[in-house]
Amino acid sequence: MTKGVKLMNYLSRRDLLTKLGGGIAGVAFADLLNKEGLLASPLADQAPQSPLSAKSQHFPAKAKAVISVFCYGGASQVDTFDPKPLLLKRQGEAMTGVGEIQTVMGTPGGLMPSPWQFKKYGQSGIEISDLFPHVAEHADDLAVIRSMTALSPAHGPALFQMNTGSILPGHPSVGSWVTYGLGSENQNLPGFIVFTDHRGGPINGAPNWGNGYMPAAFQGTPFRDSGDPIVDLHPPQGRTPEQQQKWLRLLRELNEKHLDQNPADSELSARIHSYELAFRMQTHASDAIDISRESAATQRLYGVGEQPTDYFARQALMARRLVERGVRYVQLFSGGGNFDPSWDAHWDLKGNHGLHCAETDKPIAGLIKDLKSRGLFDSTIILWHGEFGRMPISERMDGRDHNAAGFSVWMAGGGVKGGTVVGATDEYGYRAVENKKTIYELHATILHLLGLDYDKLTYKFNGRNMRLTDVHGRVIKEVLA
Amino acid sequence: MPKRADRRLTSGVIIIFIGLVVLAASLSPVSSVDARLGRSTSPVSEQAFAILRQNCLGCHGVARTSGLDLRTAEGVLKGGENGRVIVPGNPEASRLLQFVTHRAKPVMPPDRKLSDAEIEILRRWIAEGASFDGFAPPATAAETALTTGNAKTEPAPLAIRPFTSEERGFWAFQPPRRVVPATPSDPAWSRNPIDAFLFAAMKAKQLSPSPRADRRTLIRRVTLDVTGLLPTPAEVEAFVNDERPDAWERLVDRLLASPHYGERWARHWLDVVRYADSGGFEYDYDRPEGWRYRDYVVKSFNTDKPYDQFIRDQIAGDEYAPDTSDAMIATGFLRLGPDGEDKGERARQDALDDVITTTSLTFMGLTVGCARCHDHKFDPIRQADFYRMQAVFTPAEPLNYPVVPADVVAAHKAETARIDSLLKPLKTARRELEAPYAKILIEEAVARLPEYMQLAWRTPEAERTPGQKLTYQQIRKVIEIDRQAQKFSEKEMIARMSTDDRRKHDAMTAEIKSLEDQKPKPYPTARAITEKGREAAPTWFLHRGGVDARGPAMDPGTLSVIGDYRFPEPPANASSTWRRRGLAEWMTSRDNPLTARVMVNRIWQHHFGEGIVRTPSNFGKLGELPSHPELLDWLALEFMDRGWSVKQMHRLMLTSEAYRMRSDDLAAGTAIDPENRLFWRMPRVRLEAEVIRDLILDAAGNLDRTLGGPCVYPYIDPKLFQSSTKRTWPGKSDDDPSTWRRSLYVYSKRSIRYPLFETFDQPNLVNSCERRNRSTIAPQALLMMNNNFVILEGKKFAERLVAEVGNDVNRQIERAWQLALGRQPTSFERERAIAFIGADLNGQGNLAEFCQLIFNLNEFLYRQ
Repeated sequence: MTKGVKLMNYLSRRDLLTKLGGGIAGVAFADLLNKEGLLASPLADQAPQSPLSAKSQHFPAKAKAVISVFCYGGASQVDTFDPKPLLLKRQGEAMTGVGEIQTVMGTPGGLMPSPWQFKKYGQSGIEISDLFPHVAEHADDLAVIRSMTALSPAHGPALFQMNTGSILPGHPSVGSWVTYGLGSENQNLPGFIVFTDHRGGPINGAPNWGNGYMPAAFQGTPFRDSGDPIVDLHPPQGRTPEQQQKWLRLLRELNEKHLDQNPADSELSARIHSYELAFRMQTHASDAIDISRESAATQRLYGVGEQPTDYFARQALMARRLVERGVRYVQLFSGGGNFDPSWDAHWDLKGNHGLHCAETDKPIAGLIKDLKSRGLFDSTIILWHGEFGRMPISERMDGRDHNAAGFSVWMAGGGVKGGTVVGATDEYGYRAVENKKTIYELHATILHLLGLDYDKLTYKFNGRNMRLTDVHGRVIKEVLA
Repeated sequence: MPKRADRRLTSGVIIIFIGLVVLAASLSPVSSVDARLGRSTSPVSEQAFAILRQNCLGCHGVARTSGLDLRTAEGVLKGGENGRVIVPGNPEASRLLQFVTHRAKPVMPPDRKLSDAEIEILRRWIAEGASFDGFAPPATAAETALTTGNAKTEPAPLAIRPFTSEERGFWAFQPPRRVVPATPSDPAWSRNPIDAFLFAAMKAKQLSPSPRADRRTLIRRVTLDVTGLLPTPAEVEAFVNDERPDAWERLVDRLLASPHYGERWARHWLDVVRYADSGGFEYDYDRPEGWRYRDYVVKSFNTDKPYDQFIRDQIAGDEYAPDTSDAMIATGFLRLGPDGEDKGERARQDALDDVITTTSLTFMGLTVGCARCHDHKFDPIRQADFYRMQAVFTPAEPLNYPVVPADVVAAHKAETARIDSLLKPLKTARRELEAPYAKILIEEAVARLPEYMQLAWRTPEAERTPGQKLTYQQIRKVIEIDRQAQKFSEKEMIARMSTDDRRKHDAMTAEIKSLEDQKPKPYPTARAITEKGREAAPTWFLHRGGVDARGPAMDPGTLSVIGDYRFPEPPANASSTWRRRGLAEWMTSRDNPLTARVMVNRIWQHHFGEGIVRTPSNFGKLGELPSHPELLDWLALEFMDRGWSVKQMHRLMLTSEAYRMRSDDLAAGTAIDPENRLFWRMPRVRLEAEVIRDLILDAAGNLDRTLGGPCVYPYIDPKLFQSSTKRTWPGKSDDDPSTWRRSLYVYSKRSIRYPLFETFDQPNLVNSCERRNRSTIAPQALLMMNNNFVILEGKKFAERLVAEVGNDVNRQIERAWQLALGRQPTSFERERAIAFIGADLNGQGNLAEFCQLIFNLNEFLYRQ
């Protein structure tokens, strides 16, 4: 039995029995009880299985968690991690020899040089532009894939693909697959948490971190940037913790009386138990994102309290706190809304990327440094990517259009071979030509680094064994340490 | 075997078979490679090609999956997108060999392993230098037998896989058979044939049915099932005290006659057809008129529209009754899927796939969508069947069908045209007035560009290099035509105008705006379907589903395993192809083994917690077998015999003894059949998200029971949807009575889900949902503890109690139990409730908290 089948369903005892057939399932799940003292609870004899209980990997792997930095709108490869001197040498000339040039917004221009300079960094000598001076200090930790490709050069489908593998809506996101496959190590927090930009979320909205056809337990939970991190986390003003506890006590008493009639119903007892989890989540979630508990030095490391880094720095620091607490997947969106507020530099590339990189460079570097100093770097994967890259030619005179044919992403951390460059684009930086990679492969690699076999991690839906990588994928071996 | 309409494809198939036989004779017969190993006299390259041909070319032939084409020497040597696949002379270094031996991923073929003998031939072939002498030229006689009409790719063969007798004999493809059940020994179980079937199956496993539930449980159960609302205390008492022998039947009939029945059952249907009020994708455009389809479904259930008619309406209402508003609105079914801004061929194929997938899951309980890229892996559904079904839908075109009389439409058009004709000269005049000022601004904007761009702008047309031409075009388009970016400021232009010109400009702008404002508002329309004419454009078979890998043109068809079906010929004056009409006829024919079974099983599922087939949208091989095949057949036949009346099926099921069993865990039953596959008891089922919200409103006395019409927008925290400028949720506050409608009427926006619904497992509104997940997670508890709506309704519930029974806490508690749970509180419950309400300070506040607590009781949230 593959892991996919085994994990397939733990929605309720009845559902479970339906899928797994009989009492063996109950035994199998006894060892999956979460770490939060369920066995010590008075309800232990009917302790319900939580869908987010930690589960074993398919094979041993170092990485346990993922922090994804999503440069929403599409970061330009030729201005960040993929230097193309030819663009300056031939500025204003037509890009030839590449066949018909498909631009999304129309009216392609001539080759446009990058306004930024590239330098070699670290022992590995990876070339990185002036946009990322802090990240560049960690060049030897990065595995830069310069030959990534996406299926669609339109934001909507491309966001879906980067987040769910499919260009169509309706599929579970990577974070859902990871929490489905591994559960979470902390039952008092959601297993998959999303932070959006203060200027708004990405288009497509919540389906970007949706659970698709999977149970609700695996959906990404958006954390708010102010007040309570989760909507409805705390009772309204005027209701004291004592009142709430009294309320919960009575609820439990009445529900337990009701349970007496059918004491073996683990679904009913799971409901009773879920209120205890919820109660604990109230404290834990607030604590988890309370960065005031961090030292001034740590805050400075990320750029908290400075502009323009403050906002993203806070989120990056919260991400570390969450991963530290066993959260499986944290996604940080940089950029929001349409055009200007996102990385979607159709015009004024200099202003756009200048701003977004300045906002994120120091926080990302701080995150790497901080994870290292806490011994978490080796168990955390950091991903940096957009939904696609940008064109080497001009659009609207000083911007760049979308480009899905070749762009850069990088990975760092647990199980990743730092100081690596994989693949190459053509001389313009337009199309991946060497060692071309797909998003399926990126996803397969993420799962692999977490100890999950992308081929075996399946979820049955409408008669099919669904996979994150569908029928595609393979692990990008070059980035494995 | 073939009927006329199938001729084109089938004759092609025959030619292919002949071709393959000829080809096989000329090469090594692949099937006997094993036997011939070591003794073969044919060159190893021929044998290798035969193996590749048999096992690989389906994907790595004309379809060039991963860029790999194994048909020719060039293709094999070039390899795919991921590099070379063979190194002649070095089998160990050849990835092809690593894949087929499963030493590297992806293993190939993906679904099976070649025999050792076949692998050995490939190994030898590579080791001996990989000669291509035995490879066939790209286009063999067999392959050219089918012309494709597509210049892009050469023709490729359609390998039509035969069905085995086991596949043809699969239960779901056999016509339902009527079996008379044995008369049960227990007279209570012999009145309704449903009971007789169930009883016999239980007895065979030494199981006994659970005893009948008490009347309070039963009225709550059946009211929730049929209407999704709470029985009122008066209704409960009336039923409990009704001594007439047919009290139950009267109750069932009363509920089935309620207009709220249609609302409850429409929701089940909307799950299956993945209904939503927006398009999904990037901007998730609203479908403000989408509710008309929802109301059509409600009305259809309420009027007990025969199910065959219900199908005909939705698949082909426009072909049956183009002048009937109901039928036209029903065709909106075909437009319920997500749709994006992408209009390419790939997007069109995805949309058609979505229609075929949903249509086949919904009505046939089969996963035809799985056959888009290859023959179905498990069911006898050919890839050709998928494209034959696609040919049914390709002629369909979207139509925004006016739901107002024709003269209103005509008047609207005339008035719009009149205003446009006034606007046009005004806009031209304004442009002319702006021209000299614009010219100056444009020159100034260009002067701010990099030198190489300015040069391109100034270079005379004839002398521009190709790059300069592009730059010139871009500047012209952006600054001169679009006046976009920060390069051109409209405000500044106006500021520079002479006083006189500015006055004229202002006047023109004001007049233009005034005219625009006078344009009539759009008339209401429904999302419907139409066709352009009697003839259809061709539908192509696509190898591996690739839009560039066209195969032969396909005639419309259905599932070939069920047998031949002749599509009706449209009359000479028909304005459409009648293909969807043909499909609807096939689906609703008494000979179709699936349609009735699938629907009665769905009805059963919502009454008995699980289906007789527990995978209601998958009656195929990967679906579950029916637990009671004879009962399923009997129900399907009854359904058709009773004129496809859905209400009669409800009545049949609800008046069974089986429906009235207790839900408790009885040791004897749980020991023998823990999953309740034999329906020895009624399962306890967590109520659906929408029902939970409705019950809260209902208990609090706030529910607005108005039927139908446009959607409502209850409050959602803006943090949950703030994203692009195009995405809005005009949420009203929780105490705004306009939001107190049933959940069915809450706007279902694909990218902004109502949190209570999302948390309680409402399906994702994108995929067809056959059965809801029923998960239990902490965020549900958080929401029920802290969400403003739940808290507010707790207060309203408390106010209702005070209004109905005054300030006596004892009476308040009693009333609360009656309203929410349909019974009296026990002494334990009463005692605890009093302690809670009274212990802290001032009466009302704690009563509200207590009322909110009621919403959190398992008993409240479950149907038992």
